[in-house]
Amino acid sequence: MKQIYKVISFSLISLMLSFSLANASSGVFKLSHDLGFGKDTNLDAITKGRLFQVVIMTQNRLVRKDLKGKVSASLATKWSANSEATEWTFNLRKGIKFHDGSDFDAEDVKYSLMRVKDPDIGSPAKKSMSSVTDIEVVDSHTVKMKLNTSFADFPLLLTDYRLRMIPSGSGDTIGKTGIGTGPFKVDTFDPEGTTVLKANPDYWEGEPGVGEVHVIAIPDGEARVQALLTGQIDMNRYVPFSQKKIFDGNKKFNVSVVPTGNWRGMVMRTDTAPFDDPKVRKAVRLAVDRQELVDLVMGGAATVSCDTPVAPSDQYRLKMKCPQDIKKAKKLLKEAGYPDGFDMVIHVSTKEPTWPTIGEVLQQQLAKAGIKAEVKMTPSKSYWKETWMKKAVAMTRWNERPADSILHEAYHSGAKWNESFFKNSAFDKNLSDARGELNFGKRKKAYQNAQKTLWEESGTMIPYHVSKLVITSSRVKNLDDVEVFSVRWHKLKVD
Amino acid sequence: MLILVLKRILLGLITLFIVSLITFVGVEVLPGDACTTYLEREAYGAALEACYKRLGLDIPAYERYVNWAVGVIQGDFGYSLSGEMKINDVLGPRVKNSLVLASASILIGIPIALLLGIITALWRDKLPDIIISTFTIFSMTIPEFISATLLILIVAIWLEWLPGIVIVPTGASISELLPNIILPVIAISMIMTAHMARMVRSSVIQVMSSDYVQMAILKGVPYWKMVFKHVLPNALLPAINVVALTIAWLLGGVVVTEVVFNYPGLGRLVIESISNRDLPVVQALAIILASIYVVINLIADLLTLMLNPRLKSLQIKK
Repeated sequence: MKQIYKVISFSLISLMLSFSLANASSGVFKLSHDLGFGKDTNLDAITKGRLFQVVIMTQNRLVRKDLKGKVSASLATKWSANSEATEWTFNLRKGIKFHDGSDFDAEDVKYSLMRVKDPDIGSPAKKSMSSVTDIEVVDSHTVKMKLNTSFADFPLLLTDYRLRMIPSGSGDTIGKTGIGTGPFKVDTFDPEGTTVLKANPDYWEGEPGVGEVHVIAIPDGEARVQALLTGQIDMNRYVPFSQKKIFDGNKKFNVSVVPTGNWRGMVMRTDTAPFDDPKVRKAVRLAVDRQELVDLVMGGAATVSCDTPVAPSDQYRLKMKCPQDIKKAKKLLKEAGYPDGFDMVIHVSTKEPTWPTIGEVLQQQLAKAGIKAEVKMTPSKSYWKETWMKKAVAMTRWNERPADSILHEAYHSGAKWNESFFKNSAFDKNLSDARGELNFGKRKKAYQNAQKTLWEESGTMIPYHVSKLVITSSRVKNLDDVEVFSVRWHKLKVD
Repeated sequence: MLILVLKRILLGLITLFIVSLITFVGVEVLPGDACTTYLEREAYGAALEACYKRLGLDIPAYERYVNWAVGVIQGDFGYSLSGEMKINDVLGPRVKNSLVLASASILIGIPIALLLGIITALWRDKLPDIIISTFTIFSMTIPEFISATLLILIVAIWLEWLPGIVIVPTGASISELLPNIILPVIAISMIMTAHMARMVRSSVIQVMSSDYVQMAILKGVPYWKMVFKHVLPNALLPAINVVALTIAWLLGGVVVTEVVFNYPGLGRLVIESISNRDLPVVQALAIILASIYVVINLIADLLTLMLNPRLKSLQIKK
């Protein structure tokens, strides 16, 4: 009899235990990835083949952007700079453990970040770390980063989604293990099939709301939409806008449109006639009807930009209006010595599916100002090598970067990817002033002045920043309505 | 007979050689190369040279072709685009998955096709023929991406009976694959069955109206005995070639179906590698798919040769 009581009470207790566990982290959240790097897909955030859908859940950064786009604490709790903004001290969160049980400390920070600079790895993230010359371990939970330049917004660079903290010395295995301090741990890594993540009950921000995350490889866009419709995945951030109507008004799904910092543009080389005359460049840019491009090419899913590469949500973005102005464009052309307009060739390719369409719309719009544009298709495979930065006029595209990074990388006179060969000393000076300015208001002013210069003189026509369609199953709760790298995954719940 | 077989094998090898040459030259003359594709905007200077060296692109083209061809003959396709994965390891599970899908479709599709073909031929222009023929022509003319999407819509989204797309781990066992492949198999079988049933139907009708069958009927041979003993064996011979082509199509050509259902077979690998510009894998796939067609056609020709008494007797006369 006693035996029976024991069995019953034991099973009752275990039943209650399993219930309480189920309340803490339960359910499976399923999302897909497009296997864009084929067999080279890995979990090392700083390599080209990184499977970001996994690392954003298993590894943390020192700092991250909050829901409003401002730098906020993650594994670093506090940070401060010296008066020149050339040395930055970060205080690290204490008592944090990696998934393998080891402690997170200053050595891990030094290791994780200095790896990015390793030429053998050839990390695409190395630009974010290029100004860092050394990282000094002050004590077990303090690091000091030394820069080769003043940089008031340095913490913003560390919000780069790839700069994640991994255990010191784990570089050779991280690609398979994905170990970090994040809300989820890698259980099975299967890049071509289903990668299974399990909740990390000791996560420092609190126990995750879901028990498992499945990251499923579905290379085909149509198949991903089918999977979402049949409930085989819970979130799809790749649905083209043309398919939005499938989900609109369907109670099973939540549809949201999230603006991004990704942009497309047309580059005129400022060192090549006739575009070496700023008046010609501005005339071309004035002749463009940006809203029409947004409507025709993107079906309305983009934010109009006035030739600034700075993201719509960025605190330094210069807000202005730039409607099409054919009269002024013609006047500028006349002043520049082209009263009857001129001929130009816009080089496009299918590397970016919207380029040819943008080219065709531009052709129509520029014709109104007397500019005869020919749209020429070039091979997509060699586009970056043979067309971009080679031809006088070519299309470009960039992904979201902080204001300082994109202004430097695409326009600074010394930049390697200065695609329009833009050289303007006032612009360069505004950028370096901004970097050394610790006062936010003054810094903002300097970055905005730089963007004003671009509106007057630049050779890059940027009509819009694209938006992203995010569709989730209505089972999914508490998903932050922001770009994927700022989502707080531990908050997520599924019914 | 032996000389004929050897001749056919030699022809097959020459075909493969030409295919390999065309793929290689095709890849060569395209602007850009594996390295400029992989490195994108980073393709210059030291990084580019290091990539050329790692992928062996720094040596002349003809030399690379010889090296590659020798590797292929030894069954080694080299490394994928980034040089990190052996192509053989990539192909292994995909070949197996495609085989599973193909076998399941063949096992279900061929018997149904034969049955439908025979029924429609024997009841020619009667009600069964009209119903079945309408159905086969219908499923033949609807492209597979439409029938597949409709299947998903009806069975997976509306009725919620089966999962819509295939989600399986890499290297899934056959028992893991089977419950997932019901919809793809139906989609493939619909087209395959329709084509083959039409073929069998016309072939049976032809034999039924031939002189010796008419003679047998006149001599009073029982109808079903005549059908099974005299008509079918003769009618099904020409079907062997159709079956062979279908098998080859199943092994490598069901690209659309595999992509729609997210099935991790060779067809999806073709699309993945092309969209990732993984040219070494594309080259390997071109050779493999060509070999499948050559080998299966060879087998089909030999089978027809052995089963067809008339061809055999011609051989003896010589």
